[in-house]
Amino acid sequence: MLAVMAREIRLLPRRPALAGLVIVLPLVMLLVLGGIFRAGIPTGMAVAVIDLDRSDLSRAVTRMLDAAPELTVTHRASDLSEARSLIVSGAVRGAVLMPQNLERDITRGARPEIVTFYDNQHMSAGSLVARGARNAIDTALAGLRLSVRQGQGEAPVQAMVALQPIPMQAHALFNPAFDYVHFLLAALIPTVLQIIAAAATAYAVSLDFGPGRHPRVLMRMAGGILPAMLGKILPYTVIFLLILGLSDVALYGWLAVPLRGSLWLMALGAVLFVLASQMIGALAFVLTRDMGRAASLIAIITAPAFGFMGLGFPREAMSTLAQAWGAVIPGTWYVQLRIDQSLRATPIDISAMSVLWLTVIAGVLVALVLLRLWRLSRQQAPA
Amino acid sequence: MSSLASAFRAELAAVLGDRQVRLIVLLALVIYAVIYPLPYRAELLRDVPVVLVDQDGSTASADLARRVDASEAVALTHRAPDMAQATRLVHERRAYGVMLIPDGFERALLRGDQSPVALYADASYFLMYQRVMQGAAVPLRQMGAEIEAGRLIAQGTPRAVAAAQVSPATQIEVPLFNPAAGYATYVLPAAFVLILQQTMLMGLALAATRRGSLPGHPVWRLLGRAGAWLTIWSGLLPVYLIVLPVLYGLPILGNPGALMMLGLPFLLATGLLAQLVAALFRRAEIVQVVLLALGLPFFFLSGFAWPAEAIPAHLNAVAQLIPSTAAIDGFVRVTQMGASLPEIAPILWHLWALTALLGASVLMVDALRTGKRSS
Repeated sequence: MLAVMAREIRLLPRRPALAGLVIVLPLVMLLVLGGIFRAGIPTGMAVAVIDLDRSDLSRAVTRMLDAAPELTVTHRASDLSEARSLIVSGAVRGAVLMPQNLERDITRGARPEIVTFYDNQHMSAGSLVARGARNAIDTALAGLRLSVRQGQGEAPVQAMVALQPIPMQAHALFNPAFDYVHFLLAALIPTVLQIIAAAATAYAVSLDFGPGRHPRVLMRMAGGILPAMLGKILPYTVIFLLILGLSDVALYGWLAVPLRGSLWLMALGAVLFVLASQMIGALAFVLTRDMGRAASLIAIITAPAFGFMGLGFPREAMSTLAQAWGAVIPGTWYVQLRIDQSLRATPIDISAMSVLWLTVIAGVLVALVLLRLWRLSRQQAPA
Repeated sequence: MSSLASAFRAELAAVLGDRQVRLIVLLALVIYAVIYPLPYRAELLRDVPVVLVDQDGSTASADLARRVDASEAVALTHRAPDMAQATRLVHERRAYGVMLIPDGFERALLRGDQSPVALYADASYFLMYQRVMQGAAVPLRQMGAEIEAGRLIAQGTPRAVAAAQVSPATQIEVPLFNPAAGYATYVLPAAFVLILQQTMLMGLALAATRRGSLPGHPVWRLLGRAGAWLTIWSGLLPVYLIVLPVLYGLPILGNPGALMMLGLPFLLATGLLAQLVAALFRRAEIVQVVLLALGLPFFFLSGFAWPAEAIPAHLNAVAQLIPSTAAIDGFVRVTQMGASLPEIAPILWHLWALTALLGASVLMVDALRTGKRSS
């Protein structure tokens, strides 16, 4: 087995295509993904104001909107259709309408309406805009209510208390900074690595077990199918683990993602995840014995995997079929383990389930690959 | 002119005649169309489970719990005696939030003091966090407003004045497009554009790696090939952008004319990019793997799911060279938001400029290669 491993490592520099796939491609992906999310939460998104009142109050609200970290007031629209067109063309992500006689109606107690329109097709940006506008308008109105109460002779502190009989103390569990970069990166990097590990392993295997190759040389060298296969695959396991480790250094060191759980459990999960991903590739190849068809098989399983991990839309809310499909993909469990152990500080007994699933998936895949190889070698032997 | 026709025929044969390319183009359509949308079929999050920790056990706390439970967004599915047990349920992902009503909640309200309630929402899921906050904040605010108004009326303020003083203006939020905040409606229209691009890139780049040299002027050859791409994909584009969305029940507002106007430069730019990818990576196996790995980064670079405002400027500049960046924006605005042609004119110009740039690059690479071969 060691001889096969040594041969594999020796051959790597002489196969630039393979070296590019297992080293250069993952590193470039790491840089691009890290770069996209480096800046953190989006700020200063463009909104339009439709100010039909042009009063001190409407100008105060506009200032509040502009001061909200999420928003920048970039346009002033004269009517709704102009604002709508600005939103549709993408010039702004939302618009706030202040009706005529806003200030007068408020002082008269007529409770006029302030309307926020936002682009919910681009849901992530749209909901941020809505939240920013809601808070800004709330602040402006609270100031108004406060001054009314103070005008009636209430002390400022007393008035503040009276404004909110049931204040809500909101706590963002596991993510106090409300920063999704950590979660996205913690899932995106393994997803991309899963694709590359599977495809590159299939390619590496194809170089020795493909049509016209002589796998028996390799088997004689190692003394059996199992050591031959392991010797073939393990060098890449080490390379992918190093890349995963590098991404962890970047994530937890450079981007300062909190690490609150057990490193050992995460490391164990990483080994199982990389092995299982590689086995997807190996199995795809030994089943099809053709790199093109193997790549298509790998694509079917690994390319849509991100959605099934439930980062955007939670797994628990998916249909049973979608949950089951996600459950057989190693990345689903590894990403869950990673997020649980790094960000959520999940108790170890709950996280052990993820590791158990990974073990089962990796085990079944290894067994399938060996079974297929054993059959192939029996078919070849009489010939 | 004959070199144009022969290039056209050769490219058609290369795409439709090659088993592997056919597999990618057609099978991918079926599989992506079925597998990719699977997680999002549920569309909406209703009644997100939340744990109630009611340490007060009073009439007022029961009233508040009932109001929160009645909201569409959340349901109080579990009760726990303390925070430790409640947090464990959240760790197990059996609940996504905890509402803690502290001891003395009712007493403080009766005394006329502030009586805070704590809400812990799982912020590891953006959508869950939003739903839990939304589900609890609205009933809380309503109950608070009723209490404030009640206190004012008790002090002798007339009812109408009290209502106006509690909320001087009504805040209304109107989501334009995707009003129900459906996840499939949000993500699928963009994803279909990306899948179309990736499978087209893969198919055409594979065909290009296997192509022998043809006679004739390079410009005519390129035009002939482009004709073949348009012939094949002008049939596939409506499948991805009209048929699939209709099958998944997504709204379609845009007119087919604008769709075709965007589709033409998008397909050309994608086909040209495929030639460059093939020239760069040369081998079919490598091309496939690289394009597979690039799918997700392309999606997040497009500025759709992750707003362009948050992408660093230099990366955003690179992203503009990928056809999907402008195309996702354009197609989503046309099909989901009903944008008219003048409203997407900048996007159209962008795609045509990209087509010209990529076309010139392909011709240059072509010239370099033939130069090398002849020398």
